[in-house]
Amino acid sequence: MAKRVLCKFFAHGACLKGEHCEFSHDWKDPSNNICTFYQKGACAFGSRCRYEHVKASRAQSSGSSSSANSHQSLAFDSAPAHPSRTASSGVALVPGTLSELSAFSSPFLPPPKPAWSDSLDDGDVDQNEDDDVGVGETRSARPADRAICSFAAAGNCPRGEKCPHIHGDICPSCGKHCLHPYRPVEREEHMRTCEEKHKHLEALKRSQEIECSVCLERVLSKPTVAERKFGILSECDHPFCISCIRNWRSSSPTSGMDVNSALRACPICRKLSYFVIPSVIWYSTKEEKEEIVDSYKARLRSIDCKHFDFGNGNCPFGTSCFYKHTVKPGSYVWKFHRPPPRRPPPRRSDIVQMDALYQMFEHLEELEDYTPGDLDIEGLNPLEMQFLLMQLGFDPSDSSDDELNF
Amino acid sequence: MVDFARVQKELQECSRDIERSGIKVVPKSDGNLAHLVGTIPGPIGTPYEGGTFQIDIALPDAYPFEPPKMQFTTKVWHPNISSQSGAICLDILKDQWSPALTLKTALLSVQALLSAPQPDDPQDAVVAQQYLRDYQTFVGTARYWTESFAKTSSLGIDEKVKRLVEMGFPESRARSALETVGGDENLALENLCSG
Repeated sequence: MAKRVLCKFFAHGACLKGEHCEFSHDWKDPSNNICTFYQKGACAFGSRCRYEHVKASRAQSSGSSSSANSHQSLAFDSAPAHPSRTASSGVALVPGTLSELSAFSSPFLPPPKPAWSDSLDDGDVDQNEDDDVGVGETRSARPADRAICSFAAAGNCPRGEKCPHIHGDICPSCGKHCLHPYRPVEREEHMRTCEEKHKHLEALKRSQEIECSVCLERVLSKPTVAERKFGILSECDHPFCISCIRNWRSSSPTSGMDVNSALRACPICRKLSYFVIPSVIWYSTKEEKEEIVDSYKARLRSIDCKHFDFGNGNCPFGTSCFYKHTVKPGSYVWKFHRPPPRRPPPRRSDIVQMDALYQMFEHLEELEDYTPGDLDIEGLNPLEMQFLLMQLGFDPSDSSDDELNF
Repeated sequence: MVDFARVQKELQECSRDIERSGIKVVPKSDGNLAHLVGTIPGPIGTPYEGGTFQIDIALPDAYPFEPPKMQFTTKVWHPNISSQSGAICLDILKDQWSPALTLKTALLSVQALLSAPQPDDPQDAVVAQQYLRDYQTFVGTARYWTESFAKTSSLGIDEKVKRLVEMGFPESRARSALETVGGDENLALENLCSG
């Protein structure tokens, strides 16, 4: 009896038990190709699962009578999830008849409705059962309920013409037989994701060729993963790797280079850009660039601004800050509805303060290094330290210069 | 730390294009890519035509994020180039530097500077004044300087090698001696005799 269900491992050509296997190694026997996770209610693979996603009654129809016990238990397993089900006797009865019936007639045809969607109130049972059986016989051939062959979908079905499953239509993007001919929603879904994947791959392929104009290397061939990223300038379309463009923008404005006219400008066209967007992919159209920029900004918006500090700090960017300004109850902004006052700038250090500000602008651009609420005091340079002290309420000009020049 | 991978690439690119641009960049000594020597031909239609000008290039540690330090080693009579030190007054070598510029493009700009002097922003006040007040004399001086300083070095080096070989020196040694002294035949002879 047990021999009647086709061995899963045998079907994949990898059963180690050979003739001692308790399952059948005969291709003619029906396979039990039902996803057990789906039976329990959650299969992580979703529509991509190689096993069939049908409910318990489907299992009964395709299984053999010997496995009726396990199917029953399956049906029982799902019972607690449906408290409306007053008695599982209906299910317990159905498998017997159904499996007996289907084992001979049409082992692969599932009944039209999953068992747990049946209303099993005693009063309805008879009617329902009539419905189920009646419709099951007529509608069980509904092709939309049949799964497509996963071998064919993966590229090649060894059973070819003789395969009992439907072979899907060819997807124009991936070229595999993975479009279900009778499930339009699934079809659409697959075509859409497939096209997106295809586009992404194409873009990635194009991006491989692109060189950084500063280090003259292909950006995606740089030695470390962190370096294999483009730094997109908001105002022009010249490609750089993220490390090069950040390096350039943060290089100290010595030798008379002006921050705004030289460092913040594109090294090639000298157009001014106020921010750099990291991206693993280079774009080819304006829309693609917009998409990259928008998703980057959306990502930043979900991170709390460390300058704003939940309403206790003073963010130099104010309302145009890319990061999230969450006002915590009890914070300064929460109490007074305005940012905390800045300390008067220390004497003789207007320029220094501007420099400190610029440093912070640059740090804001470094998304990866950004850890909210984590002020790395050790890593601050004297200017930032001074700025920080200012924020905290110390007047750095009170202390001697030596203390600041660590 | 100088980005030597980039410098290497620039040198390759430059040598590939040497026929068209005439611009040459080679390391001053083997194995040290931070110190280079560039050579540019004098632009045609200027008093510098026919001359070959050598430029000493020192790459700062932050190259390419800082401009290379360039200085003429060949003496030039030009309002924006010091006739004494060879210092060049050119914005892209100072505040207008961009990391997208390369040694070759910078040398091309220097070459362009030779054909388009900017006497209003001079490096050498004497030359600039002469340029503005007495252009003819300026052209004459510039041409004379080109003849006497920019032509001896590499022109007819084969002839000089030949003459040294006739004096009894092996060809390879004669050639290397000429190269080390920058093409001066007498210095090369001295060098060969002493070494």
